[in-house]
Amino acid sequence: MSKNSSERGPGLSVVDGNGHVAAGAHSVSAGAETRVTHEIDWTIFMARAQGGDRDAYRRLLESVAPYLRSLAVRSFHGRADIEDAVQDVLLTLHTIRHTYDPARPFGPWLTAIANRRIVDCMRRHGRSRARETSLEAEHETFAAPGANLQEQASDGRVLREAVDELPPGQRDAIRLMKLGGLSLKEAAAASGMSVAALKVATHRALKNLRKILRIQDKGT
Amino acid sequence: MITTPDLIESLVADAEPVTRLRPPLARAALWLLFAAAIVALLAASHGLRPDLGARLGQSPFVTGIAASMLTGILAAVAAFMLSLPDRSRLWLLLPAPALAVWVSTIGYGCLTGWVEVGADGIRLGDVIDCFATLVLISAPLSLAILVMLRYTALLEPARVAVMGGLAVSAIAATALSLFHSFDATIMALMWNLGIAAVFVGLAGVFGKKVFSWVAPR
Repeated sequence: MSKNSSERGPGLSVVDGNGHVAAGAHSVSAGAETRVTHEIDWTIFMARAQGGDRDAYRRLLESVAPYLRSLAVRSFHGRADIEDAVQDVLLTLHTIRHTYDPARPFGPWLTAIANRRIVDCMRRHGRSRARETSLEAEHETFAAPGANLQEQASDGRVLREAVDELPPGQRDAIRLMKLGGLSLKEAAAASGMSVAALKVATHRALKNLRKILRIQDKGT
Repeated sequence: MITTPDLIESLVADAEPVTRLRPPLARAALWLLFAAAIVALLAASHGLRPDLGARLGQSPFVTGIAASMLTGILAAVAAFMLSLPDRSRLWLLLPAPALAVWVSTIGYGCLTGWVEVGADGIRLGDVIDCFATLVLISAPLSLAILVMLRYTALLEPARVAVMGGLAVSAIAATALSLFHSFDATIMALMWNLGIAAVFVGLAGVFGKKVFSWVAPR
């Protein structure tokens, strides 16, 4: 946890959103200026946020998030882990925002919280990695049939076989309207049946399908 | 998982005005004032030890009591300083000199206590009475400092708990040496630092849940 101030310095410059990339002899002083400007901005935003200014708070959180991400990247590799750590720091910042003293710079306050929370996140990850195995797609999922979605393929086969068993008129009605997705008018034109006859055939087909599938269910 | 921009929006929506903490020195002073009130209350109900006047004339006793009181005050200041995220860790060293002096007088106190009491040792009754007073002083002080520093649970509870435990021990030991002939320094230190260690240990094992009943949410 012993993050010294030299580690904090470069991190703070990450939030440079103005696109000021100074070069050569001016880079050091320009970088320092940008950092100071950001720190002052953050300090002012935080002081206002403590007073309930939501806009200032939003600007503060949006501008510190990239900086926190740059800190988290040093400790985590997965994108989800990095975001997890950033969100943990943001939540902590929110919870203990009353402990910030606007007379002092915001940067060290935030960095100390971030370092602490990132270390805690790493410990938590270490613990869960020691106990848990990540769930891969090729692993058996759960015993409950509903969780094994691949079974749906055979469900589809069962349904198609049941449709085949229907009388021809009902079978056509179901295939055109329920499986093919045609409207009543389109199905009527395609099959040469009247709309009324199609309605009746569909209704009867669904009734028969229910019956067939129920018998199959009991049989298995 | 909620995305970071969504989280920021929900935090912004929840951004009620907050009351800033008072400066750490002021808060330490407040806690010490509370400690003084507890000790004064106990002195009024319990009574001071009969030989206090004579003991106050002896320099080892005075040195010990002054060192323990100073340790308590400095440890309390250090605990409140360390509880803030941006304060230096060097505050841990603040009570060290006073603690060194206090600890150096413990040996002497135990030795003289042993010689005075004799080979039979200390009678059980005294020890239990002493322990009861110790708990009576320590419990409210520990509870008060725990509530005042609850936000530290999210940061570095171990250091703050050790400093808080030391502050409570030192105040309790100072008070006990005013009330009892038995030198209770070791007992006070073991009890309070033991409690601090249990809390920190539980926090380590169970995470923030230990502090969740007082922690800010």
